[in-house]
Amino acid sequence: MQDQIRDVLAAHGRMAVDPREVDEQADLYELGMTSHASVDVMLALEEAFDIEFPDEVLKKSTFASVRNIEQVVEGLVKAPA
Amino acid sequence: MISLPGEVDGHRVRVGCDVVAIEDVQDSLAAFGDRYLRKVFTASEINDCQGLNRVHRLAARFAAKEAVIKAFAVPDMPFPWREIEVTRDGPLPLLRLSGTLAEQAQDQGWLSSSLSLSHADCHAMAVVLVVCSPGNDGEAGAGGR
Repeated sequence: MQDQIRDVLAAHGRMAVDPREVDEQADLYELGMTSHASVDVMLALEEAFDIEFPDEVLKKSTFASVRNIEQVVEGLVKAPA
Repeated sequence: MISLPGEVDGHRVRVGCDVVAIEDVQDSLAAFGDRYLRKVFTASEINDCQGLNRVHRLAARFAAKEAVIKAFAVPDMPFPWREIEVTRDGPLPLLRLSGTLAEQAQDQGWLSSSLSLSHADCHAMAVVLVVCSPGNDGEAGAGGR
């Protein structure tokens, strides 16, 4: 799952570094991801994992690190449709 | 040295601002189309953003939404973009909040707001100023990224 998330970040995160090589706890905003880029990341994650981000997880912290994204996506993948 | 309170006539004042690259919005539209529009903008906003400067107008509205989130100055609050709507009263852009963000604004004592939008070829920006009821001592400022 984390590899897929990193691929999405590489395609849509508009970061100054390659997200495939950053620590899972690294602050993605500090690495150049903007709020607007996080929209694209969210939409691409929804496609990649066939999920939908509900309003309550639309927070800065959700997209702040690879690990944070992974935790939220894991929860949404497991959630009943 | 003096300390400058964030108040005018006893009313707390909050400010938020944001800037968005036009190219980023253009790319989002190309990559995600209607999904992008429906996730971020209300039907009314989509309808308002037609014609020659469509992408610039959308970018300015996204900047307004981010500016409002910064004006709330609540770390890590949920930000359902569609609960922040930019409407128009003639030439003036106005803010309309709904749902949880409207409740949050009431909790913080928001009384009135003023919104300014602008764009150039490459970027769009927004500044929002909010006047709150006296005595509300939440954090104010234009933090965030």
